[in-house]
Amino acid sequence: MPLELTRRRFLTLLGGSAASAVVFQACGVPPKELLVQAPLEMPEDMVTGLDNWYATLCRQCPTSEGIVVRVMEGRAKKVEGNVDYPINRGKHSARCEGGLQALYDPDRISGPLLRIGERGAGQWEEISWPDAISRLSYQLEQLNDRSQAVMVTDPVGAHLGTVVGSFVGKSGARHLSYEPLENTTLRSAIKAVFQQDVMPDFDLERTEYLLSFGADFLNTWVSPVRYSRGYGEFRQGDRERGTMVHVDSRFSMTAANADKWMQVPPGMEGALALSIAKVIIDGGKGDPAAVDLLTDGRRIDLSAYTPEEVARQTGLKAEDIVHVAEEFAGHGPRSLAIGGGSAAAQTNGLESLNAIYSLNYLIGSVGQPGGIVMNPGPPLGLPIAGAGSSFGEWRDLTSDMRSGGVKVMMVRGADPMYGLPADVGFREASYQVPFIFSFSGRMDDTTAMADLILPSHNYLEDWGSDVPDPGPGYQVLGFQQPVVRPFFESRGEFLGTKNFPDVLMAVAEALELDLELPGENFMAILQDGVRKLYEGGKGTVGQRSVGDYTTFEAFWNATLQHGLWEDESATYSGPAPAPTPLATVSSAAQAGAASTYPYRLVPFASTSLLDGSLSHLPWLQATPDPITTATWRTWVELSFGAADELGVREGDHVRVISEKGSIEALAYPTPASAKDIVSIPLGQGHKAGGRYTENRGFNVLSILSPLSVEGSNGLAWAATRVRIEKLDDNEKIPKFENTAQELAVDEGHRIIEITPNDS
Amino acid sequence: MANEKWGMVVDIDRCTGCQACVVACQSENNIPINEESHFKQRRPIEWIRVERYWEGEFPNIKARFIPVMCQHCDNAPCEPVCPVFATYHNEEGLNVQVYNRCIGTRFCANNCPYQVRFFNFWEPEWPESLKNQLNPDVTVRSRGIMEKCTFCVQRIRRVKRGERQGRTVEDDDRALNPACVNACPTDTLIFGDISDVMDAAHNDTPMPAEPKSRAGRAIAKELEEGGRGYGLFEDLGTRPNVIYLKKVDKDAAEAVAHD
Amino acid sequence: MAATAAVAVFFMAAWLDQPLPVFGFDEGPDQPIAFPHTVHVQDLGIDCTFCHRNVTSGDAATIPAVGLCMSCHVVMGKDKPEVDKLRDFQDSGQAIDWVRVHRVPDHVQFVHEAHVQRFSGTKTVVEAVRDTTTEIRLLEAEKIQPGARVGDTLDVLPSATCSICHGDVGSMIKVKQVRSLKMGDCVDCHRKNSAPTDCTTCHY
Repeated sequence: MPLELTRRRFLTLLGGSAASAVVFQACGVPPKELLVQAPLEMPEDMVTGLDNWYATLCRQCPTSEGIVVRVMEGRAKKVEGNVDYPINRGKHSARCEGGLQALYDPDRISGPLLRIGERGAGQWEEISWPDAISRLSYQLEQLNDRSQAVMVTDPVGAHLGTVVGSFVGKSGARHLSYEPLENTTLRSAIKAVFQQDVMPDFDLERTEYLLSFGADFLNTWVSPVRYSRGYGEFRQGDRERGTMVHVDSRFSMTAANADKWMQVPPGMEGALALSIAKVIIDGGKGDPAAVDLLTDGRRIDLSAYTPEEVARQTGLKAEDIVHVAEEFAGHGPRSLAIGGGSAAAQTNGLESLNAIYSLNYLIGSVGQPGGIVMNPGPPLGLPIAGAGSSFGEWRDLTSDMRSGGVKVMMVRGADPMYGLPADVGFREASYQVPFIFSFSGRMDDTTAMADLILPSHNYLEDWGSDVPDPGPGYQVLGFQQPVVRPFFESRGEFLGTKNFPDVLMAVAEALELDLELPGENFMAILQDGVRKLYEGGKGTVGQRSVGDYTTFEAFWNATLQHGLWEDESATYSGPAPAPTPLATVSSAAQAGAASTYPYRLVPFASTSLLDGSLSHLPWLQATPDPITTATWRTWVELSFGAADELGVREGDHVRVISEKGSIEALAYPTPASAKDIVSIPLGQGHKAGGRYTENRGFNVLSILSPLSVEGSNGLAWAATRVRIEKLDDNEKIPKFENTAQELAVDEGHRIIEITPNDS
Repeated sequence: MANEKWGMVVDIDRCTGCQACVVACQSENNIPINEESHFKQRRPIEWIRVERYWEGEFPNIKARFIPVMCQHCDNAPCEPVCPVFATYHNEEGLNVQVYNRCIGTRFCANNCPYQVRFFNFWEPEWPESLKNQLNPDVTVRSRGIMEKCTFCVQRIRRVKRGERQGRTVEDDDRALNPACVNACPTDTLIFGDISDVMDAAHNDTPMPAEPKSRAGRAIAKELEEGGRGYGLFEDLGTRPNVIYLKKVDKDAAEAVAHD
Repeated sequence: MAATAAVAVFFMAAWLDQPLPVFGFDEGPDQPIAFPHTVHVQDLGIDCTFCHRNVTSGDAATIPAVGLCMSCHVVMGKDKPEVDKLRDFQDSGQAIDWVRVHRVPDHVQFVHEAHVQRFSGTKTVVEAVRDTTTEIRLLEAEKIQPGARVGDTLDVLPSATCSICHGDVGSMIKVKQVRSLKMGDCVDCHRKNSAPTDCTTCHY
């Protein structure tokens, strides 16, 4: 008979008649639940019902967080924050949980794939790892000029950065790193203003007055969990409640949580900062030594930045600007000014950030509690991940590709075909690259156009390390260990996924390159790093001094158990940062004439999908956006006024058109948009990636105009103007609000109660 | 036998709307994946949700966030209306939903003023590989069954097991906390045994000097110093075991209309 | 008439999921290896918890890994065909797919440890039990230690408690289920022993 019978059921049902078994089998006990497996050995984490928590790092976002993963019977069940890790201290974001679904993604690539058929046609043949590695090595070997090979990665640091750097250096290939909403401009500003190569930490816990420009730091910017921890303390910690003012062209989640949101046109953030500086300097409230340096001995003329003038240009009220400036100065040195995000993504972004961060000098918070805390250099001389290569470098690479200067491209952890504006022509230029190799474990847009895929492990199955940047003010080295066996391990050593640096080392071996790495494989390299920490004798692991560990084995185990090493005494010891003279901020240029393109497009990183790299995770697709509560699709936030003018209501399909392209989106009028600002989240519009990603929404990055930020060469991704056309369709936006109907309540009863007094 | 009374304190002034609690809960409790069609039909399941309310007008517009989950009301409107007694209040103060007893009349969801009860309109489905992530400590519900926040009772049970084996639960032991509480980056959610504090509050006796849990301490502090604590829809008489702490807005003097 | 009765009995049996002794099927299911508990428990005197190790610390009693069996069978029982089967599993690295005999539905979280802990430990022998945490009935005590009298203190091993629900497994050639393990069975025992009857004790 076709259906499975268990012997037990067979016997209890009179033995002869299978028909009855069929009838009751349909009552739904899956046959495999009627078995109990006894494996060969029973390791501790395979015992039914017992759980173990393993420490590792979450690699879903650019700034890694320390997590512990609950493993039962060899399966990862739950992610929680690692209380020991100083960045997040036991807390974690929505995106961290998504990593579990990435590990068990049904559309993961399960072995090396060789392209058959046209590029992008999606026809693959599975080959073995030795075959894949030899194909890649062969192509590299054939190159006369090794600089015609390009390695593209996400920004990589710590031990992975060492391996990649060594591979690139010894092989002669070029290396570019990629992140869609790059931090080039931010890092350039930090370098210019504070003379630092690593990000400083912002002491939100102790600051009294927080003035932020453009950076959605509670949501997606740089290190949101760390900043959120600080924010909680800032609001209701054991201290007086802090005040937060947020300047932004769009009503971001951070703007929603501010005590005051100052809406300015994109590009005016720097002018506002200078106006605030002027008020402080003119009022005699700034630190005199700093004022002297910032104004170059009173030679710098800020007369163009009077509150009245800036109010006129921004639509703010002059008295509000004065009030903020006075409060900011009044709370100094426990005031903090930070900037980034869309403020940095303008043609004048670097100038703006320079002005914004310089405000900290003015009130003396640099290097002080409640202010900007410098971070020491990374331990063991490891490289930091840093920012991605600048947009200018990417354009240069693309034109080099176009002219046939790139023969081999290797891609890992980056999706430039998705993220670069379509106008750059990266996808078209890639046809001139004869060989594209991808190390991605899943099919993203770039990987879909590859010739050979050498899939990497998911981070939960893998080794790794990270230097958190921004650090907590002292040296930290985080460690990542496999919490489960690789998902495709049962496919044998010639198939399945592999650890990326191990693959690079195998390729180097095939090319007879000596990478001069301190280990035969990546785990050994990490172990060597831990040994160096052990021999260095400094710092602590799990609140015990390194010196207290009597054997290296005990130290290695403890390091993995706690997931990190730290040295609280290894703080910044370089020269005190010194202010440089303020510079005027040029006006921001935008792409597209205002008459044809009346709206300023401000794209934003999605809370759940970030820059699109997390779009294959159903939990994250189903996570409501904090402001609109929308899910699963691409929407455009616009003001009620604009919606009226366009004759558009919620759910209408609209076309958003820039000089360089157009996308569709679902209209979502909000009460919080300025009349001429429209916002579209990143994350959808992938051409490949699996069932949860494909054919879903649109990619706003594709229609951006390729404007650069002056001075940093970054992409000015918030400088594009658009126009909007209503299309014929309307559909219900998949969103969460209005799911729970608000109970009609009496006047005076509110769901959210508000008090002016902080008790 | 002194029983615990589980309760939660939610500090709205800290909540940023980040949705970490939402996803943590879905991960821990085998909540079905909310597909796009579910949202379009306004029937997604989120045992804890973050509600966003607008206030004011541009440019003085504000958005307020409040996480809402089952309030585990002492006088729960959902309990008396179930025809098969699938929901009741247990001795630990939890409002219990017994999945195998539920027949899906949805009367309880009708009665809940907080709209925190969810019905499985569709059979939950996961691709085979995603089933590896399901939590074996939590029943996977089928279509036709009501579900809601349980304060992660499976974690409470696990900790009790540990206690029986001699491991003591420390104050604010993270193993006891629901998934949402452990995730929240701003410490908006605080969970714990509030029996001593609530007893004192109801009997009008002095607050214990050392409340048993961090949640108890937060409530005791609010009741003593006054000002910020309130219950959602408390005037309905549901006696929720979730205390909210008001959002602070210095400019809100005129907007507040309550005593 | 007889056909109708047979059909009725047949459906009842399937519904009740009970073995029907009247038809002679009161033995358990066939297993991949015909493991005889009689040999190991009665003849060799191996304690239950030697193999089912996690019964005092977790949810499941757990069937031991092949490695545990092989710790003896690497030398013992070389002439037995069933032991050969065991060795084949060991050599091929395949897991043994034992047929599950006792199963509670998915919506029940049954924890062995709580039950074993309750009935094991130091107990005083009494005529009638009022508190199972500290007392044990004379009749039960005599099974564990023949010659026990009222007033004696007895150290009840976890393995002595297994038979309460699983029957005398030591005497079974093939393990079979002897109690219905339906909810009524559980709740009755809980009530008798003043164990919690709150639904969330087992259903969550």
